[in-house]
Amino acid sequence: MRVLSTIKFTALRMIRNYIVLILLLVVPIILITFFSFILSGVVTENGVPYINENAMIMVLVFQLFGGSIVMYLIYHDLFTENKMRMYALPFNQTMYAFSIMLCGALYSILLGILLMVYSQFVLGVIWKNWFWMIYIISLMAILSIIVCLIFTFSVKNYKIAERLSELYGVGFVVLAGLFFPLPRNAIFDFLGSYGNPLTLSMGAIRDMSLTNTSSAWFQANILLGVIAILFMVMLLLGRRRIG
Amino acid sequence: MTVFKFALKRSFSNIANLVFLTLFPVACIFLPRGEEWPFLPYGYQYFGIIILFIGIRLAAIILEDREKGVVKRLAVAPISHFNYLSQNLLAYSVILILQCAIVVYGGVLFGQELYQPGWLFLLYVSFSFASLAIALAWISIYRKKDVAFLIYMSLIFIVVVLGGLIIPVEMFPDLLKRMAVILPTYWLGQGLNWVVFGEEILDFLIINGVLWLYTIVFVVIGSTRKI
Amino acid sequence: MTIASIQGVVKRYGAHLVLDYIDLDIYEGEIIGLLGPNGAGKTTLIQTLTGITSFERGKIEIFGQSKNPFSNQNKERIGLVTQGITVFEELTAKENLQFFAGVYGLRGEEKKKRVEEALEFVGLGDKGNKTPNKFSGGMKRRLNIACALTHRPKLLIMDEPTVGIDPQSRNYILEAVKKLRENGTTILYTTHYMEEVQAIASRVVIMDQGQIIKQGTVDELIQMVQHEEKVKIDVTDSDKVPVNELENIAGVKKVVVSGNQITIISAFDSGNLDRIITLVKEHAGVLGIQADKPNLEDVFLTLTGKELRDKEEA
Repeated sequence: MRVLSTIKFTALRMIRNYIVLILLLVVPIILITFFSFILSGVVTENGVPYINENAMIMVLVFQLFGGSIVMYLIYHDLFTENKMRMYALPFNQTMYAFSIMLCGALYSILLGILLMVYSQFVLGVIWKNWFWMIYIISLMAILSIIVCLIFTFSVKNYKIAERLSELYGVGFVVLAGLFFPLPRNAIFDFLGSYGNPLTLSMGAIRDMSLTNTSSAWFQANILLGVIAILFMVMLLLGRRRIG
Repeated sequence: MTVFKFALKRSFSNIANLVFLTLFPVACIFLPRGEEWPFLPYGYQYFGIIILFIGIRLAAIILEDREKGVVKRLAVAPISHFNYLSQNLLAYSVILILQCAIVVYGGVLFGQELYQPGWLFLLYVSFSFASLAIALAWISIYRKKDVAFLIYMSLIFIVVVLGGLIIPVEMFPDLLKRMAVILPTYWLGQGLNWVVFGEEILDFLIINGVLWLYTIVFVVIGSTRKI
Repeated sequence: MTIASIQGVVKRYGAHLVLDYIDLDIYEGEIIGLLGPNGAGKTTLIQTLTGITSFERGKIEIFGQSKNPFSNQNKERIGLVTQGITVFEELTAKENLQFFAGVYGLRGEEKKKRVEEALEFVGLGDKGNKTPNKFSGGMKRRLNIACALTHRPKLLIMDEPTVGIDPQSRNYILEAVKKLRENGTTILYTTHYMEEVQAIASRVVIMDQGQIIKQGTVDELIQMVQHEEKVKIDVTDSDKVPVNELENIAGVKKVVVSGNQITIISAFDSGNLDRIITLVKEHAGVLGIQADKPNLEDVFLTLTGKELRDKEEA
């Protein structure tokens, strides 16, 4: 398949985008390191060292922004002037878009794993279940990409789509109550628990570390279900734009 | 004052700017209080973060002029670079001062406990100027607006955390406490604490003095690049 | 042999008719210069020919295929040089070519060879490891062209490939286009620059308002449209110009005196230049002569009008 030959170059373009590396790797490393200094010795009510909890939150928070590079590449290649050249090429443009999504997801997951490796081997954070953590990171990465692409396909102005994707990330961080406590009512409670991918993933990881596997899987499956639904929405919108 | 007038217009010309300049500051008024910390309501603790974002969004308009070549056109027009820059900065300062007034006095009207709203307003104004100056210096090293903004955003996250706006400085290890002193957000944090607890006016003057020092230094750095 | 055939193609954007029953055949080995003012429909025509844009009516046949003219098999034999620079800024020049070569099915040593060939062909052989953001405008344009050449297309479509570049780079590109034709590539070339079309095109097609209004060789077009020749003579004393005698020379249609310049308009190919100059020299003293033979610009302006028309092409 011709599209397969493009994957190497898509990966190169992602890796060479140093701004994304700064935002999704360097900044979280600095923040995780900083918090590990401040929070060393402090434990949560479950007896878990705060640095573990904090590192987990940081890794997941930055996955919320992992869709930006995919959004940029797909927009640049298939919606700007470049689209003339891309549509004249003898390959399936939809499959090309999927290949970018795949690369983007792997890239985001890799950055998450790098953060995990750094925090464990440099800062002494203990990740109880690596596979589960990587699975949840994958779900978050894919969800973020799908949401960003939905914005890209549904809004004509790309700048607005970019701002919406940032709002998605920052919005769910705020709704998870990480900056300040939210009012206690049905809507905020929902958006701070089952209606929030960040809290769902945090809950799934916490529960799995406490061997509360059924609850962990339940929360992960909600994420999976949302991904499946939004994937359909993205396909529908994407077909209209990409053709 | 043509540049001033158009700088004001352009500041509100796009949706993202409109949201940053209107909704976010107003939202700060309504955020709740913390239990033990911060001592002021959350919105007032985090307003500094918003000021930093607004500073770069406004200063980036100058970078956009440089990127598009408008600055070259102005260079051969009968307007000095000093005039161009000062009118732009004046426009941005007016916007920021207005926002500080809305946030502080809006909070007073809403019934938030702000202890010494007058001094709080002054502190925010000083920080706003420092933020604008830092943003100006930042854009002087970049050619592209998007790149400058994205990297500055990363810097804001770090400066805000390391400066003690998200976690109290008292919790930091000694080394990080010492390092925090070089950051303008540290001084904003100290100023916010003074508004709640402070007695000696000299302490407040020192805090504002440091913020104005940042302003002067970074404005000088940021003014050196013309085209 | 006909490489591509556009028959009765109609394309609308809403109520705006962009292509109005276009008929155009592209023959193997020729260079077609496609001329037209802004908004004529040139880019839309290219987009329909490459399958980027659909069309409402008509038929397009490419390499003998009319049922599925935009198949990947056909696309493998077409190269497109876009009007804008459409290369990947994050990849080096070589990597850009490797990307496109890979998409066109080239592998291994063959791919490597073609990439080197394409870089050399456009004069970027020593710049392969640099990224386009370090290139000048002319170099970017050449890379833009190279990306369409790695697979040695049978049909190369070039949409204003020399916009905004220096004369040396433009010359280089024109020479490259001629070389491509010598190697058997058929080229459809759109441009605003008449001198480019005159330099390279074997056939000229003039479009306006979604229609092809004239086509032919450069000479055919000039002959078809222009019936006059113009001579401008700068004289020392225009009061002494024998206007009546000049008007009586065979073929002269009009004599206009303006300051110290006289303009004599004659019928095309009247061969009276010698007589005119002799007469003027005898009476008024000649300082300079400018003989205007009709050119493609005159043809173009005559057919499409001299007014600015700021239509946007979709």
